Amino acid sequence: MENLFGFISPGILSQILVGLSRTVILFIVSSGLSLILGVLRIPNVAHGSLYMIGAFMAYSVSHLFGGGTAGFWIALILAPLGVAALSFLAERSLFQFLYEREHLMLLLLTFALSLVFGDLVKLVWGAEYRSVPVPFIFQGYINLFGGLPFPIYSFFLLIMGPVIAILLWLLTNKTKIGKISRAAAVDREMVGAVGINVSWVFGIVFIIGCSLAGLGGVLVAPTVSVTLGMDHTLIMEAFLIVIMGGLGNVWGALLGALIFGLTQSLGILIWPQFGIVFPYLAVVVVLIFRPTGILRSTW
Amino acid sequence: MTGSFFRSRSAWAIAGLIVLFLFPVFFDRFYVYLTAIILLTGLCATSLNFVLGYGGVFQFHHAVFYGVGAYGTALMILKSGLSPWLGFIVGPVVAAVLGLIIGLICIRLSKLYFGMLQISLGSLVWAIVYRWYSFTGGDDGIHGVPLPDIISSPNGAYYFTLIVTSASMFVLYRMLKSPFGSALQGIRDNPVRSEMIGVNVRLQQLLALTIAGFFGGVAGALFVVVDNTVFPDMMFWTLSMELVIMCLLGGWLSYLGPMVGAAVIVLLRTYVSGITVYWALVLGIIMMLVIFFLPNGVLGYLDRFLKKKARAR
Amino acid sequence: MLEVTSLSKSFDGFKAVNNAGLIVKNGETVAVIGPNGAGKTTLFNLITGVIRPDSGKVLFKGEDITGLKPYQVCRRGISRSFQVVNVFPRLSVFENVQVSVLSRQKKTWNLFTPSSRLAIAETDRILENVGLSDVRDNTSTALSHGERKVLEIAIALGGNPEFLILDEPTAGMSPEETSRCIDLIRQLKEKLGITILFCEHDMEIVFSISDRIMVMVRGSTIIEGTCDEVRCCQEVQDAYLGGSDVCLM
Repeated sequence: MENLFGFISPGILSQILVGLSRTVILFIVSSGLSLILGVLRIPNVAHGSLYMIGAFMAYSVSHLFGGGTAGFWIALILAPLGVAALSFLAERSLFQFLYEREHLMLLLLTFALSLVFGDLVKLVWGAEYRSVPVPFIFQGYINLFGGLPFPIYSFFLLIMGPVIAILLWLLTNKTKIGKISRAAAVDREMVGAVGINVSWVFGIVFIIGCSLAGLGGVLVAPTVSVTLGMDHTLIMEAFLIVIMGGLGNVWGALLGALIFGLTQSLGILIWPQFGIVFPYLAVVVVLIFRPTGILRSTW
Repeated sequence: MTGSFFRSRSAWAIAGLIVLFLFPVFFDRFYVYLTAIILLTGLCATSLNFVLGYGGVFQFHHAVFYGVGAYGTALMILKSGLSPWLGFIVGPVVAAVLGLIIGLICIRLSKLYFGMLQISLGSLVWAIVYRWYSFTGGDDGIHGVPLPDIISSPNGAYYFTLIVTSASMFVLYRMLKSPFGSALQGIRDNPVRSEMIGVNVRLQQLLALTIAGFFGGVAGALFVVVDNTVFPDMMFWTLSMELVIMCLLGGWLSYLGPMVGAAVIVLLRTYVSGITVYWALVLGIIMMLVIFFLPNGVLGYLDRFLKKKARAR
Repeated sequence: MLEVTSLSKSFDGFKAVNNAGLIVKNGETVAVIGPNGAGKTTLFNLITGVIRPDSGKVLFKGEDITGLKPYQVCRRGISRSFQVVNVFPRLSVFENVQVSVLSRQKKTWNLFTPSSRLAIAETDRILENVGLSDVRDNTSTALSHGERKVLEIAIALGGNPEFLILDEPTAGMSPEETSRCIDLIRQLKEKLGITILFCEHDMEIVFSISDRIMVMVRGSTIIEGTCDEVRCCQEVQDAYLGGSDVCLM
């Protein structure tokens, strides 16, 4: 036992914790992506852009309220709502006409949207780096395991993850819209045939999924510099997580994010230059054994 | 009937080639460079369309093979000390092998899963190239790749590109018209039925992916010739999406569609980004218009239009 | 020629095929009948390798072909047509059949000879036989439903099969088309000597062209015998009268 604890040094533990707090962001964003994929079958490339827009909105809102910490809390509410509004516009004006088209067209449309969103961000916020202050009560560090500082904000994130997971579970399993959307994911014609307006159900699911991207953006904002291009790598990671977990499965997204976040943070510890390779290897291994993801996908 | 049709088609091809061959005589360096870029981008898009439009495989991250072909060529020339011509073979071959490997990992998955995993694995290749400073030069890329004298002048590079592109386009065309191509199109239309008539669907698709990777790599090697540089953004996933858009814009059921799409996109990019920094916005809007109003692409539309006219007569 | 023994397959606990057995001898035409949902198509899918059985065996010419992939089954000489039209929508009628012929000739790895020079005579002969020569160059989407069902069979014939499985060949056809299709099936049987296994709802057709009949209800074989044996069988009448399907006998 002595040796075991000796092996798991404080450094590794704190790396794992940091990895976990990053996992939370990945989970929140990819659960939204997964929801949209599972129910609407849209591989939403613009999801990353919405995440970026969420982060920029968080910057603007917190700036508007004096750059202080109150701003962060307001942003936590307003930015996802802003992203929801944006996605509502996109859904009603574009996507709802394309639900019957091939996946490829949907993918390209979302890519077109991500280009437009990217340039809109450039237009509105410019190309500079922006930063969002960590809210006051979460500032500072606590000492872990004999002196390693660990940011309090990461603890906040670690709590947010499970909270969102439970809320999403309640949404998909206990509410009417959740049940309808799950049924629609399996057989949309049937749901339409019993007199439910599928188009609106889809719209609502799309908006919820997108606002999760926005929420992820707000939550990540205090920990990184907010900038153009922050969407590019994230969307790829979110895709991987969703594939690994099983399309449309919220718990799958959680599991996928966990595997991804942990292999990434441990990988960087083992091999700093190419740590980025490990999560990809994990995905390949998972898919060799389970070609449709770890958990049951909705389709 | 088919004979004269074919003859007229080859006549058009020869006429086009003559025009392209004389092009540098009448236009200055910039236009020659631009045309060479269009040709090699068009070849890259055509090689993508080989599996996408004709094979029905969701190859979402084709730019990886373009980039790997370019890096393979450049690194071979710079680091091996062997004949530079060897580099032009090694680059595409490496791209083909990579196409096979990524294909092997993805091929068991159904369409959208395939595409998403493929795009992710491609991003991994990008990340490795981006990080591997000592070998690939990281985000700086590699500049000033030394080339054999005969192709180092702008016109030399242009003619080399023209010849290699035409030859590759011809080979790809022949492959599509071969039994292999017929089976590939059958698989696109109906994989289940293809399997039932005795086609080994996965193996057939794997070979197609390898071929597509190879010619994507050829396009990358040509870029080294024309531009003398390689950089990691050549294999960033947004470029792959642009390639898909080229196929869509030109029409993925017409053989020359991707070439036409490439010409349109390259020209637009060159001129629009001269006017505004918001080129991506313009591209995004064009894409949306194409998706909504020209789902069969420019050539697809022309084809239908001409058929309608012929019928009206 | 084909011997199916105690084949079973269940989906999520529902036994689609349950202990089904079947013997088809060389040159015979055998019909599988049964009410909707009896598991006829699933049985065909199991034989042709589209899905793997949970248990049981499929022997073809004495060799075990259980669990082989569809393309492997096809290469042993079993072709099939589908109940729902399942052709290559963007290829012409000619190409639809040609691809099948090319595949049988193992030419799909040929990268450089133009297809337009290969398998022409054989493809045209098949089209001639089934009566689709006139629409040779149309795309398959431009065909009528009946023509598409015939094309469906023509594609299967491209594999030059010894054993042909037809899943409701006349479904949705007009009476004329139906009678032409039956003539075609007779021809295949008599002229080409192809062994045929088919399923069909129209009992008149079943009794007119099959040598023997197997009756399937709820995934199991209830009886296998000659037309007369089946006609008189009490169980069959019960199954049909008791089921939702209308009695056609």
